[in-house]
Amino acid sequence: MDFALLRDAFWGLTFDGLALGAIYALISLGYTLVYGVLRLINFAHSEVFMIGTFGSLVATGLIGVKVEDEPLTGSKMILTLLFALVIAMLSSALAAVAVEFVAYRRLRMRGATKLATLISAIGVSISLVELFRILTDSLPREFPRIMDKTFLVSFAGADIRNDKVIVIIAAGLMMVALDQFISKTRLGKGIRAVSMDENTATLMGVNINRVITVTFFAGGLMAGAAAFFYILVYENTSFKVGFFLGISAFTAAVLGGIGNLRGALFGGFVLGLMETYTSAVFGTAWKAVISFIILVLVLLIKPTGLFGESITQARV
Amino acid sequence: MKKIISLAAAGALVFGVTVSVAPAANAACSGKLKIAYQGPLTGGEAALGINELNGVKFALKKFLAANPKANVDPVVYEADDQGDPAVAGPLAPKVAAEECVVALVGPAYSGASKVSLPIYESAGLSVITPSATNPTLPSFGKTIFHRAVLTDDYQGPAAARLIVSKNKKATVFLVNDASDYAVGLQKTVDITLAGRVVGKDVTPTGTTDFSATIAKIKKSKATAVFYSGYFSQAAIFVKQLRDSGSKITFASGDGTLDAQFVKLARKSAEGVLLTAPAIPFETASPKLAAEMVKAGWVPGVYTTESYDAANFFLEAIKAGNTTRAAINKYVSTKSSKGLSKTLKFDSEGEVSGADVNGFIIKGGKIVLLGAIK
Repeated sequence: MDFALLRDAFWGLTFDGLALGAIYALISLGYTLVYGVLRLINFAHSEVFMIGTFGSLVATGLIGVKVEDEPLTGSKMILTLLFALVIAMLSSALAAVAVEFVAYRRLRMRGATKLATLISAIGVSISLVELFRILTDSLPREFPRIMDKTFLVSFAGADIRNDKVIVIIAAGLMMVALDQFISKTRLGKGIRAVSMDENTATLMGVNINRVITVTFFAGGLMAGAAAFFYILVYENTSFKVGFFLGISAFTAAVLGGIGNLRGALFGGFVLGLMETYTSAVFGTAWKAVISFIILVLVLLIKPTGLFGESITQARV
Repeated sequence: MKKIISLAAAGALVFGVTVSVAPAANAACSGKLKIAYQGPLTGGEAALGINELNGVKFALKKFLAANPKANVDPVVYEADDQGDPAVAGPLAPKVAAEECVVALVGPAYSGASKVSLPIYESAGLSVITPSATNPTLPSFGKTIFHRAVLTDDYQGPAAARLIVSKNKKATVFLVNDASDYAVGLQKTVDITLAGRVVGKDVTPTGTTDFSATIAKIKKSKATAVFYSGYFSQAAIFVKQLRDSGSKITFASGDGTLDAQFVKLARKSAEGVLLTAPAIPFETASPKLAAEMVKAGWVPGVYTTESYDAANFFLEAIKAGNTTRAAINKYVSTKSSKGLSKTLKFDSEGEVSGADVNGFIIKGGKIVLLGAIK
């Protein structure tokens, strides 16, 4: 156990943990949104994320950025980054809507059990992973360096790197936007209404199918943003990239209280920090062991997660 | 009574299953004899398996050109274990049950070897691995196991010497990916470096964020890091290490010696030191390498060793051995002059008189530094 490292490199680890946590948080929003509305864990969400990473890869390829190129500068860099972000978000969002349409909608219409829907979700997840395994020849893919990675400042021994700052700030902005969308807009109101009581919402004239599509679309947008930030920082992806990140993000959603937006956000950051701290203190191999023990302990004390699962109005 | 009958029935069932599953060591092959290759042909590690398969294919092609009447199938029997013990487990009995497969080049990886070798042992199928370097493997396939390369007992110390030769005052941080291969290799590096090791961490396969490991490395003030594992993970790690501003030496073993590593890590791969108990095909025989490329197969890491292993089996067949047992006896007792070295196995199936080579990545290419003294 190396508590001295945690003490000496605390701010550096915290910064890295927050950047990782921001990605977890963005992915976990998708799990939590869908659960809030459908009471269903969308197991294909990790593949929605994976498709986003390939979306940004394709986007940079489309505008002729090659992996061997030098990093871009100025407005060209900003435009490329934005383009890759938008394409990643759109590809994930469309994938999420398609998954809902193919795997869930018909089952829901026919009043299938939750279990059938769950299996359908796992099936979609596996077939997407295998499809991308074949498409990519099982090999990891590299992402071009669009932005030169530089250190902005050194704060209490922590080197603050530009790409991670962008990730933390941009992720924060996205979440604020989503929160505003859910609480202020008409569609957001619809989502909240359905999550509170589906039948009553229908009686009040809410178009359930439309609300569900919007929910998947919004969750997909967030996963796509996470995918872009992931590939910006780590610069690689593969067909199996969604697996570990998906599990972590799902954990984050449960930790914060599934179905609760702010809970997912908080859970993402807490898990990112926890993984980084425990890796430092106990060794990286122990990261999962310690993090999940903490999760179990939290759930033992507060079974609905840190922020509670269904606090009627506040939820979703 | 009923109980006894059902017990007997169960017993018969178990016996029947055992008999039907137990691969017939002496079953006759009615067609052409087949040489099998086992290794990762799909999956993240496929590049290495394809290098090796190409070596076997090329050896077979040359052999059949010189011996057109030989009763050997021109197609290599391909067993794709993805380098994964979980895939190799159910795969090995299928290979063993193929009566016409009389010899096997592989398995490529140590973890997959551990589960496959006991099955080949009971089937009497002779194997020569071109690249599984875990020292404990002979105990898993006592009579049929042979290895055309030196083990990690040699590679680890050589890697340690390579790091020290570049910097007499080197202090080293050790990282492994928790696989059989990586743990075994790291142990031998650790022993040789002894007092120079200033820290360790384990980053299991699938780790995407190495921040904490990098923080440890920086705090340890190590001048070098030795990564024990495979190229796809090594590329992610070295990239994050360089992006964190660290310029310390990065060294790794044969699991990282792959063109894919350079492709994934790009500029971060520059200056990386690598070791392998293997010799590049182009160095071993420029003439054959050119011929191989012409035939449509690109040689890579362990192509030479696979080529040598396949040739040894083919020599055994040429000498009139057609059964698994006879071929196993031939390779266990005779010798074969290969491109990499003369293959002559001791009682454990190990080869001697070979070198561990050092490599450096320069200008996006893997450059041979020569044998590590």
